[in-house]
Amino acid sequence: MNKYLQIFKISFAQEFAYRLNFIMWRVRNVLQIFLVFFLWTTIFADQSKEIFGYNRDKIITYVFGILVLKALVLSARVIDVSGEISRGDLTNYLLRPVNYFKYWFTRDLSSKALNLSFAAVEFFLLYLVLKPSLFFQTDAIQLAGFLLATSLAIFLFFVLLFIVSFVPFWAPELGWGAQYLLIIVATEFLSGGLFPLDILPIKFQEVLYFTPFPYLIFFPLQIFLGKVTGLALVKGILISSLWTFILFYSMKKLWYKGLLVYRAEGR
Amino acid sequence: MTNSKIQMLSIVKRLAYYFRIWLMMSKNSFITYFQSRVGALIFLTGKTLRFIFFIGFLFYILKNTGNLAGYSLNQAIFFFVTFNVVDVFAQFLFREVYRFRPLVISGNFDLVLVKPVNALFRSLMGGADLYDLITIPPLIFAVYYLGSQLNPSLLHTAFYILLLLNGLLIAAAFHIAVISFGIITLEIDHSIMIYRDVISLGRLPIDIYREPLRGALTYLIPVGIMMTFPAKALMGLITSTGIFFSFILGGILLFASLRFWNYALKQYTSASS
Repeated sequence: MNKYLQIFKISFAQEFAYRLNFIMWRVRNVLQIFLVFFLWTTIFADQSKEIFGYNRDKIITYVFGILVLKALVLSARVIDVSGEISRGDLTNYLLRPVNYFKYWFTRDLSSKALNLSFAAVEFFLLYLVLKPSLFFQTDAIQLAGFLLATSLAIFLFFVLLFIVSFVPFWAPELGWGAQYLLIIVATEFLSGGLFPLDILPIKFQEVLYFTPFPYLIFFPLQIFLGKVTGLALVKGILISSLWTFILFYSMKKLWYKGLLVYRAEGR
Repeated sequence: MTNSKIQMLSIVKRLAYYFRIWLMMSKNSFITYFQSRVGALIFLTGKTLRFIFFIGFLFYILKNTGNLAGYSLNQAIFFFVTFNVVDVFAQFLFREVYRFRPLVISGNFDLVLVKPVNALFRSLMGGADLYDLITIPPLIFAVYYLGSQLNPSLLHTAFYILLLLNGLLIAAAFHIAVISFGIITLEIDHSIMIYRDVISLGRLPIDIYREPLRGALTYLIPVGIMMTFPAKALMGLITSTGIFFSFILGGILLFASLRFWNYALKQYTSASS
């Protein structure tokens, strides 16, 4: 345990080695929020208006929620795994007495801790500048559901990203492509990281809810906003857990298959 | 032959010389893209999906709300497509900027400086992007199709094209500023990504933003002039003063960026070479 605590500390310190890079990355996150915030503010110019089941407070809370959940769920160091495999650097880890998955999960947690602390400051500053009227959930069950769904989302994204990072075992030059499709395209749109998914046609939503993507950002935020309650909440948590389990199992299988074809190219 | 004619001929010859060099550099750049066809397919799929998703997002929002800051669905999509035209053309032409940092860090920029080609031209336009080139024809078709549904006059269409060129000029000025900044600070990757994030605020008409952000996006970081003004001109929503002002600002920014480039070159230390 102490081993992973040290990894956490080192990884946290490493993030500060490239301070400008990190600050620029956070600036980018804030800029992305501006477009969505002002878009929804314009649509809800009339404060009494209700569209897609959202009032102004709830939709603005959704936008601010994206900032926090992206820091919590989507900030991950696992993104470096793909490069390590294609460069052959994975060998270094295979020779060390560390569990590769625990190592990266610890590094992910340190990245999330740092991103979350910055997101909290940004949240506060944006709150002061934009003066939005936000919705705060007070129901204990909904808050517990939100925390559970967020924890599952963190683990789900970790597993998803790991699976995609295994592509270089078989195609070393295509690691970036798989990550690009998963992170830039799928998570940006299908996770609800840009807009709430319930503005889409019902049929499309029904299909989408059977994929893992909505459970990364959209589902936890829906619980926080009180739009998913009771049985629907339980059903969502079950689907999310099932995906986590299936993908975790697939990740393990692919890892062992990948190791069999790993040739440590580049070392 | 008069002096002015000789000068004109010399300029044309110089332009033809640089055009030939650009074709040569672009050909070399395109060859590298053919090395990974699957990669190209993935990239184009991703780009197309992002484009479709965003249009779908706009479509479903405006289907329910009726308008966005007073603009209809067609107009809102036209703003988005116009944004893409400026953005994709800029990326197609100025992709080399993304590869500039290693040149400066390694000191290999020396090799660019000693060649009988303008160093700025080489650094800015030395590696056209094939993927962006592929997306240009469908984008132009989308502009033509959506634009014609807005029934613009010939004059408004001419203004639209001129303002698009002005938008590209401003994009060039920003890219020049980024590589100049890179020579001084060695920081390019994030500067260019921040530039991209800022201009992505122009995916929708800047009318949706509140002051002082809207003012900043018009005069300070003229995203509005680059992306929103051309589309507004086609819709006949820009005055001739606004159009005139846009060109003046475009000229000033290009001039300022060129001065900054000259200043940055004097700071280049050729370290590591």
